[in-house]
Amino acid sequence: MIIAAEHLSKWYGHVSGLNDVTVSVPEGITGLLGPNGAGKSTFMKIVTGQLRPSTGSVRVFGEPIWGNPSQYRRLGFCPEQDAFYEHMTGMQWVEALAMLHGMSHDAAETAARHALDAVDLLDVGDRKIGAYSRGMRQRVKLAQAIVHEPQLLILDEPLSGMDPIMRRRTIRLIKDWAHAGRSVVVSSHVLHEIEAMTANILLMHNGRVVAEGNVHQIRGLIDAHPHRVSIRAEQPRALAQQLLAGDDVSSVRLDGDAVIVETPRPDSFYARLTGIAASGEAGAVDEVTSPDDNLQAVFSYLVKP
Amino acid sequence: MPVHDQGYRHYTGERTLHGRGWWVIARAGLADRLHERRFLGLLLFAWSLFVVRAVQLYIGQTLARGILFAPSEQTFQLFLDQQRLFVFFITIYAGAGLIASDRQSHALQIYLSKPITRNDYIAGKLLTLAIFLVAVTWMPAMLLLVLQVLFSGSLAFVADHPRLVPAITLASALQVALAVVTMVALSSLSASRRFAAMLYAAIAIFAAAIARVLQASTGHAGWVLLSPESTLLAVNDAIFGAGSDAAVPLPIAIGALAAVFAACIVILERRVRAVDVVA
Amino acid sequence: MTAPLFGPARRVFELALGEMLRARRTAFMALAAGAPILIAILARLSVVNGTAVLTVNGSRIGTQAMFETAVSVLYLRFIVPALGVFYGTSLIADEVEDKTITYLFTRPIARGAIVLGKYLAYLLCVAAVVLPSLALVFLIMVPFQNMGPLFGTLLGDLGILALGLAAYGAVFLWAGVWFKRPLVGGLVFVFGWEPLALVLPGYLRYLTIAHYLQAGAPGVASAIAIAAAAVILSMRTIESREYVLEQ
Repeated sequence: MIIAAEHLSKWYGHVSGLNDVTVSVPEGITGLLGPNGAGKSTFMKIVTGQLRPSTGSVRVFGEPIWGNPSQYRRLGFCPEQDAFYEHMTGMQWVEALAMLHGMSHDAAETAARHALDAVDLLDVGDRKIGAYSRGMRQRVKLAQAIVHEPQLLILDEPLSGMDPIMRRRTIRLIKDWAHAGRSVVVSSHVLHEIEAMTANILLMHNGRVVAEGNVHQIRGLIDAHPHRVSIRAEQPRALAQQLLAGDDVSSVRLDGDAVIVETPRPDSFYARLTGIAASGEAGAVDEVTSPDDNLQAVFSYLVKP
Repeated sequence: MPVHDQGYRHYTGERTLHGRGWWVIARAGLADRLHERRFLGLLLFAWSLFVVRAVQLYIGQTLARGILFAPSEQTFQLFLDQQRLFVFFITIYAGAGLIASDRQSHALQIYLSKPITRNDYIAGKLLTLAIFLVAVTWMPAMLLLVLQVLFSGSLAFVADHPRLVPAITLASALQVALAVVTMVALSSLSASRRFAAMLYAAIAIFAAAIARVLQASTGHAGWVLLSPESTLLAVNDAIFGAGSDAAVPLPIAIGALAAVFAACIVILERRVRAVDVVA
Repeated sequence: MTAPLFGPARRVFELALGEMLRARRTAFMALAAGAPILIAILARLSVVNGTAVLTVNGSRIGTQAMFETAVSVLYLRFIVPALGVFYGTSLIADEVEDKTITYLFTRPIARGAIVLGKYLAYLLCVAAVVLPSLALVFLIMVPFQNMGPLFGTLLGDLGILALGLAAYGAVFLWAGVWFKRPLVGGLVFVFGWEPLALVLPGYLRYLTIAHYLQAGAPGVASAIAIAAAAVILSMRTIESREYVLEQ
């Protein structure tokens, strides 16, 4: 495990930022999800050693991070805030931060060029950051996070402010970094972006971790909420009648040529549906989808007030 | 889908007349500061001199009945003069971030995208600081006058000094106006409230020191015009009818202050814009 | 594990030095140091013209005496403390306010090295501006024939100014590391407390920096100790302090 937090809590005066969080983040890409105020940024700031836990502990690469600056060689952080040395050019800024990693001037310049090239900013590297657009500012932040080729990237809302094309490219970049052996923890509240990057999520709400792991596994565990299945069929009424006969269906409704079913036992239901479709008793079945087996549904179920 | 089908309803509450934006901005600025205990402490501490003076007036009227604490016009001039220290600190504390903080958080664009004019915005910011400064200059000075009347049991003092009330009002107004306009203009120059505070402190302290040194070493009284604070003191001397060591002609002193005001207004006009041009 | 200090501090020093030289407020620093030069020129001209009026005990004083007054009053009581407050408090506090401190804290350098590097950059910048200013004022105000004999005094004054910049800068560096709004408190200390404490009887003067700068050789050792202690305290404070950046 690359990050291990145990009974981690953080208070800001009387306000709880994190509440008894025990979680292990594996290698690869982990999506950190949650609504505003869930504790994502607080978690990231503790993991990057900017804040000290009020109680509990956190280890990164097996070592405590607070007061352990040598760990930052292996860590790259892209913060959420839009803050720069505005009068510096992108190249100067990334190079200066690379030199703080102990690189020589030439090595830092080369590394900065590579980093800016990776985020498509090399051609505007000589422009002052103050003149950058929102998306360019976001990208130069990414560049400073990767310039020293860290093993672990912590990205706090990295896609914010980017246009759709750049978002897609950055998502691809993040996946490429992961394929190259880096681990990435990326936070967002845009669900389909996280889904595009990874199936491994950490879902936070009100300072707690409400779910962690593979999104499909999480969905399966939410027994309290029946799965919804949408079946487009030739004879929806006949199909609905057949489906209602079983005890693995809690509700059925018709929606045009589709039958929307809620089932608490999806495995049993799918097996029965296959039988009905194969027998042809209720006509042809054209399409079976589960609008539920995705991150949006997991998010809505777990985060609903 | 029509908007009304989505549950939207037109605002049916009260709307104020157009042109009251300055008061909304001022009120927000006041509320912001009054929530800070440290600032409230500073405001309270700024009245400490008033308490001392009030006790002196009481002793002068009742216990001593002597000349030692007998008030005069210069008592009030001296009081306003001594309040300059608190005016300085309150101006820095409450005024440095008035526009600088809005620039830093890019809120200026949001303000100016509302149906308020730039003048509304600037007026609101000026009023925020002015209210705090009036509370530690004009208010305690007038209250001292009221106490003097109450302790003496007659209006004789006011009748004997008919220009005292307008003098206090005018001197306070000038003192407040100079501090407010200068600070707000400097606050508009930067996105860092600390830098704005630094500039103001430099003008208030440094310029006064340089002016005094130049005056002493060259013998020319005109150097006092380098410092707005020192120039204001010379004007206050004229307002209260006291003799002035600076010996700067009053029209020139007023002209110098007017030049400072004009410069500040030009700065505000150029800096308070919704768009920032980055070279 | 104790992280290395001086190598990282040097890297921060280089970054901070570039920042300070580029910053607009450095122009203000130059103006502050330039004002005494202007005064010196005007004072010298007024002496040459015979219009100077500065007197001590009824006798008109010359530019040499004015120079000595300039050192003790203008430089030691205004310029040096003011620069110490303005720049010392902003070294870390500005990074926190601008939220750029995150980038420094997430580099493999000890937080104490950040403080040390920035302090050294401040010291070099202010010394590079203030000390030549004093030297120029000396050249303008002191009669040529007295320059040789008084050169030693000039070197001593330069040393005291450098020490003052170091001591005030270090103390207000710590104020900037610890407090959220150190500037007002710093101004109160320098322009309120110090002038008062120096004139009051008793031991209150020992609670000022100005006393040690004016106290000759024993004061020098104390001022050095104050500067060193304040820097070390700043380094220790930043290692253990959390900075919660406003959203």
